[in-house]
Amino acid sequence: MISLRGVSLVYPNGVRALENINLEITKGDFVFLVGDSGTGKSSLLRLLYREVGCSAGEIVVDGIRVDRLRRKRVPSLRRHLGVVFQDFKLLADKTVWENVAFAMQVTGAHTRDVMRQVPRVLDLVGLSHKSRMYPGELSGGEQQRTAIARALVNNPKILLCDEPTGNLDPANTTEITALLQRINLKGTTVVVATHNQAVVDRMRRRVVRLEDGRITTDEERGYYYLGLGQSQVLSG
Amino acid sequence: MDWGKVKFFLGEVLRNFSRNTGMQLTAIGTVAITIVLLGLFLFVRGALADLGARLLDEIQVSAYLRTDSTAQQVAAIEHFLARDPRVASAQFVSKKQALADLRERTKGTIDTALLTENPLPDKFRIKTRLPDDVPAVAASVRRLSGVDNVVYGQKTVQRLLQLGAVLRRIGIGVIAVFFAVAGIIIANTIRLTVFARRREIAIMQLVGATNTYIRLPFICEGLLAGVIGALLAVALLAGARAALWPRLLEALPWAQLTLMPVDPRVLAGELVAVGAAIGVVASWISVGRHLRT
Ligand SMILES: Nc1ncnc2c1ncn2[C@@H]1O[C@H](COP(=O)(O)OP(=O)(O)OP(=O)(O)O)[C@@H](O)[C@H]1O
Ligand SMILES: [Mg+2]
Repeated sequence: MISLRGVSLVYPNGVRALENINLEITKGDFVFLVGDSGTGKSSLLRLLYREVGCSAGEIVVDGIRVDRLRRKRVPSLRRHLGVVFQDFKLLADKTVWENVAFAMQVTGAHTRDVMRQVPRVLDLVGLSHKSRMYPGELSGGEQQRTAIARALVNNPKILLCDEPTGNLDPANTTEITALLQRINLKGTTVVVATHNQAVVDRMRRRVVRLEDGRITTDEERGYYYLGLGQSQVLSG
Repeated sequence: MDWGKVKFFLGEVLRNFSRNTGMQLTAIGTVAITIVLLGLFLFVRGALADLGARLLDEIQVSAYLRTDSTAQQVAAIEHFLARDPRVASAQFVSKKQALADLRERTKGTIDTALLTENPLPDKFRIKTRLPDDVPAVAASVRRLSGVDNVVYGQKTVQRLLQLGAVLRRIGIGVIAVFFAVAGIIIANTIRLTVFARRREIAIMQLVGATNTYIRLPFICEGLLAGVIGALLAVALLAGARAALWPRLLEALPWAQLTLMPVDPRVLAGELVAVGAAIGVVASWISVGRHLRT
């Protein structure tokens, strides 16, 4: 589903954000990208939806050679992906419903499909009752769920989440985590960049650890800290 | 037809359009001024062309024959004129006929009875099909043997042609400047809208909207400004015409402006089309420049 081979990323200002990344993610996987702030988690996700182009290596997403993708083909790549951004990127002057529908409308979806899909995803994230509210009137967790609903509305095969539990309290965090798990169970491949230790340790899923732009470990059922559960960290 | 899609799209365009009203009004105003100038220019040009055509139409070439010209020479000239495709009509006027004409025209002012002999030569009165051909036809007739002198309204023709050329140049210059100004203002308005909507545009791009789809509302916005400006201009011109046309006819009776030199409906259509074109071209260029990512 996702494959990176020898991928490096140097930003135009000279920052070497990623170095020689090799990563294979199969269909239906649930993968955590963990690491300290500034190690390149967001950068890696940005490469996948082609917000930035890689400087070296080969990237394949859902059968598309992203590293060789022509500019004109980028929209079609993004329609296959759902992305939840670190800063949500919701429009303040549109309601929850309109924000979610927007992602379908601007890609030319039929109104009939919009009317069917939007209530479905709003129901999935538990926001049906707030669909007429504006982002400014929502809590952080509700905004996050709106962002997830928008990412899901086009039925993507892959969901990329950047820090989906960023500023949330434990209760909201649990809720979002459960939601992501449900989405994954329906067959969607999910990649989550996070530094939330609790989430990673509770889920016990695949953990890919980045340090200074390199992958240092990749465990099938990992913890946030290498080889240690939360309790062990606390007690020892 | 998916009306929901249409409604969404028009909603986006209108929301854009009402976002920076001040700038938008400036753009519309400039387009209106440009189109009013263009309309006036086309009108004046039409009127002048009409007037000029009528004046030029009356211009004749008179080819005076030498007093010693022979019948063969007259026949040869007649034959030449009959074969020249530029000549519409050629009429031989004998000296007798010319004198009679002169008597008729000067009745009471000059006593032609005092003339002991006819001083007038024979001549050909020639009309060309096109006013532009007058000088050339005059020159070729002058070269024929038996022709003494060729006369036509040289001064009138040249003045008219010159006046037309000067007016056209000034008009085109002024209008070009206004076109540029209108284009720049529309482009700038679009730039402001792009800037105001940069978040929305970024999100559209991130969820996979095509560039064409993202640009379309901006192009429509430019189109709207251009068309509204042009309609305003057409309304102004129509009002001015209704108010001023009768007075103009009164003030310049010699100009014989009996007919509209240009069809007002055709002109209005052309002006609106030009306004739309300014809007589309300006916004097209502006969006292209400011939507790079
Ligand atoms: N647009 C950019 N231009 C230049 N450098 C950038 C850009 N975005 C990020 N960087 C740099 O790339 C490196 C990795 O940044 P990135 O945002 O991927 O980190 P991160 O792991 O997502 O951090 P965080 O956990 O704080 O979100 C950092 O050193 C950052 O300064
Ligand atoms: Mg980040």
